[in-house]
Amino acid sequence: MAAARYGDALLIVAISFVSAIVCEGISWVLIYRTTNYKSLRSTIDRTQKKIDQMKLQTSTPAVTKSKSKKMDRYEVSLKESSRDLSLSKFKSGAVVAVVLIVVFSLLSSLFEGKAVAKLPFAPIPLVQKMSHRGLPGDDATDCAMVFLYFLCSVSIRSNLQKLLGFSPPRGAAGQGMFAIPEQKMK
Amino acid sequence: MGSAEGGKVGEKQILDGDSIASLFKKLARKDATWDRDQIGDVLHWLRQVIGLICGIVWGLFPLTGFGWIVVFVALSSAIVYGVYSLYLRLDGEDFGGDARLLQEGFFASMTLFLLGWTLVYSLIHF
Repeated sequence: MAAARYGDALLIVAISFVSAIVCEGISWVLIYRTTNYKSLRSTIDRTQKKIDQMKLQTSTPAVTKSKSKKMDRYEVSLKESSRDLSLSKFKSGAVVAVVLIVVFSLLSSLFEGKAVAKLPFAPIPLVQKMSHRGLPGDDATDCAMVFLYFLCSVSIRSNLQKLLGFSPPRGAAGQGMFAIPEQKMK
Repeated sequence: MGSAEGGKVGEKQILDGDSIASLFKKLARKDATWDRDQIGDVLHWLRQVIGLICGIVWGLFPLTGFGWIVVFVALSSAIVYGVYSLYLRLDGEDFGGDARLLQEGFFASMTLFLLGWTLVYSLIHF
């Protein structure tokens, strides 16, 4: 079988895999093994569980005042520790960003203007900006390195973080990055 | 109630309580007691497995066209919903709502699906 025309795609997947492992290794060294992170993480998980349990109990109408005050206190402590958590991640975020930029520029120099894969669908124009970047011609199903690298890094990194237990705790970022602080209805 | 085979869950799971294997065993046992993290993790990994399998199968046929992405999203969401609400009989509200449970691992599984589909399609048919 002649060398598959799009064999380079596998090289990109391999490079993304290695860079994901390097990034998680850096994050582990800088944050995840530190006692500060572990204690923050366990306070968040513990507080979240307490809030969940209290939410289940408060379904009974006779909720006492002290219980809702206690819940507010838990929620405040949850917000504070998750803010500290994201601050502590900032340090390694910078190093990881440098690694990603280096890998990206390496890949760009290797595959500039070359279709590395064939998309089985024609993406919407917005996506085409990424999937057809720097490619000659206008065949929308040609796939540039940028898009493939994007798919690789998102799927590999998030699953690797999940596997190693480094993914953000549900309690803290559970509401997503743009959690609008709800006003407490009195 | 410490599960008998809990024993040494494995050092790398220092932070996460349950490893993937123990979660899927718990799923197979149709266990009824789940906390938010356990159900979230098992649904995350379930989504990734569905994404990978669909990506490979779509690529092998090959199925081409944007519509097949919609089919994948509908199919994987139906399977995830079916597992936690019909098979496990859990109420989404207890875990932050159905939307929250259906979001678990969705974006990662979408990119994994697209990656698998594109790779298999490119490597097999060209």
